[in-house]
Amino acid sequence: MLNISDLHTSVDGSEILKGLTLEIPAGEVHAVMGPNGSGKSTLSHTIAGHGAYKVSAGAVTLDGDDLLGLEPNERAAKGLFLSFQHPMEIPGVQTMNFIRTALNSQRKARGEGEMSAAEFLKAIRVKAKLVGLDDSKIKRPFNVGFSGGEKKRMEMLQMAMFEPRFAIMDETDSGLDIDALKMVGEVVNTLRSPERGFLIITHYQRLLDYIKPDAVHVLAGGRIVKSGGADLAHELEKSGYDQFIEAA
Amino acid sequence: MSQSLLINPTAFEAGMIAAAQARAANGAAHQAAIDRFMRTGLPHRRMEGWRWSDFRAALRTERSSTIAVKAFPSSHFAGLNPIEIRIVNGVPNIHSDVDIEGLRIYSGKPAMAPEYLDGLPIVALNETMADSALAVIVEDGVAIERPILIRHIATSGAKFSQARVTLGKRSKARFIETYESSGGAFLSAVTHVSARAHAQVGRYVFQISDEASVLDGVFAVSLSEGVVFDQTGVALGAKLARLETHVLHADGASQARLSSAALLSGSSHADFTSRIYHAASKCTTRQKHKAVMTEKARGVFQGKFRVERAGQQTDAKMTANALLLSDEAEADHKPELEIYADDVECAHGSTTGALDEDALFYLRARGLDEQGARALLIEAFLADVFDDVTHDGVRGVFRECMEVWLGGVR
Repeated sequence: MLNISDLHTSVDGSEILKGLTLEIPAGEVHAVMGPNGSGKSTLSHTIAGHGAYKVSAGAVTLDGDDLLGLEPNERAAKGLFLSFQHPMEIPGVQTMNFIRTALNSQRKARGEGEMSAAEFLKAIRVKAKLVGLDDSKIKRPFNVGFSGGEKKRMEMLQMAMFEPRFAIMDETDSGLDIDALKMVGEVVNTLRSPERGFLIITHYQRLLDYIKPDAVHVLAGGRIVKSGGADLAHELEKSGYDQFIEAA
Repeated sequence: MSQSLLINPTAFEAGMIAAAQARAANGAAHQAAIDRFMRTGLPHRRMEGWRWSDFRAALRTERSSTIAVKAFPSSHFAGLNPIEIRIVNGVPNIHSDVDIEGLRIYSGKPAMAPEYLDGLPIVALNETMADSALAVIVEDGVAIERPILIRHIATSGAKFSQARVTLGKRSKARFIETYESSGGAFLSAVTHVSARAHAQVGRYVFQISDEASVLDGVFAVSLSEGVVFDQTGVALGAKLARLETHVLHADGASQARLSSAALLSGSSHADFTSRIYHAASKCTTRQKHKAVMTEKARGVFQGKFRVERAGQQTDAKMTANALLLSDEAEADHKPELEIYADDVECAHGSTTGALDEDALFYLRARGLDEQGARALLIEAFLADVFDDVTHDGVRGVFRECMEVWLGGVR
């Protein structure tokens, strides 16, 4: 599914990822945990294709297809989804119109037919309910005036609508209360399937109480420094990241 | 013949003065207007208020007509079933059969502009050069349901059009005005509206000239007590296009709302200049301007609120925001307040910026291609200008105009 090998990425001329290698097979959920500044967000933005993150070496493939040569929208059309740590507020852009335009752009790029307005409306109502956003929230300009938690719900709504093949969740748990964490868990667990993969990037173990990962990796100093099973997250919660910062 | 005060007139200015003098003089007022024009000649960059829009320079050279007219055919308005009047090369021509009680439309003699426009040289020139003036009268208490479409059209040379509109007490009318100059023409249009007590007037402006043309459209309205004046305009620019709006809150509390958008590409230039005079108490003004410039385009906004001593409890707010899509595009903003009353609430704000790169990435990560993402953000930036238009059909035409323009933006 998602293969990252020896990835080197710089931001503003300084190298953040220094040879990161990670393989997430289809059907699995992997968590990447790490201290602040270890390169977690750089990893997610590089995979999604943000222009400010320059790749100097390495490869990222999804089902064997190179991602790094693609535009961000082409990556989305291939089924890649990034749940942003800090989702944008976009005044003047109507939420439903935007999500429908995005969904149909992806479908068009894949050579699929557009989703009709009626179908779309039906689908978004069901999924908005799943993520706990009421009708009034999806009839407003995108994320405008939303709380941090509501913005994360909007990310989950988009993930549920797009049904991506591979989703990266960049600190989706930050700023969430218990109910919202449960909701995120529910959305991920609903979407979990043998064909789909997830990369959960987080600082804390608590989201993993709701989403049981198949593997946990520790990111420090721009590399994966340790990998293990779900227990590794609990271990980190107790012992902290210091040992890895020193090692890196 | 009076002494020319103009030293070194350009060929265009000399030609205009000669033509004005040669016309059958309409007496002293006509001569006074010629004298007013000759004090400065065409406005130029060393004159206050004209620094960024130099008509003398724009009209100095032979106007080329090689650039194609930007396509926004006026057929867009057909669906609104308007009462259509064309002023083609200065000559009013009523195109729709009009037999509406309380509405009179005819071609009359040109008239002098109101005094507060005296400082405008092109208005003075217009007074001496216009052959006729369109007159529209809406009688007291009459509401005209169909929009009145006034198209100012110039196809070659220098053309002067005039319109005078009188709106009776408690009358209601909506006007769509188009400024269409093409083929390198220079169009000067002067419109004066007098809105009597409690009239409701909507004005929707579309400036759709080509890139070789030069345009100066001056619109002045005086508002009596209880009048609600509502204006939205869009400019696609020209070699040089200036749309001036003068609003006089003349007596009693009245309301004015002005929204405008400039959508400029290539090397086009558009100038929105407005003067809102608050000469009566408890008047309200809301003004909003948005401009998007790409390539080498230039957008000018000069907005001035003047509050006279009599304008106590004026409530006036102005914002101007520009979005620059290229390094060579330019926005020149000059918001001004001139206040002589002591109990007023007046504010203005102005911003200039580029598209937010993080917002672009967000949209692209959701599947929109670069052009689609940019278009969506530009549309979002402009949205509230057009959202304010209360007439659904007219709002639709504004949106079409924006979409046509966005389709050509790279």
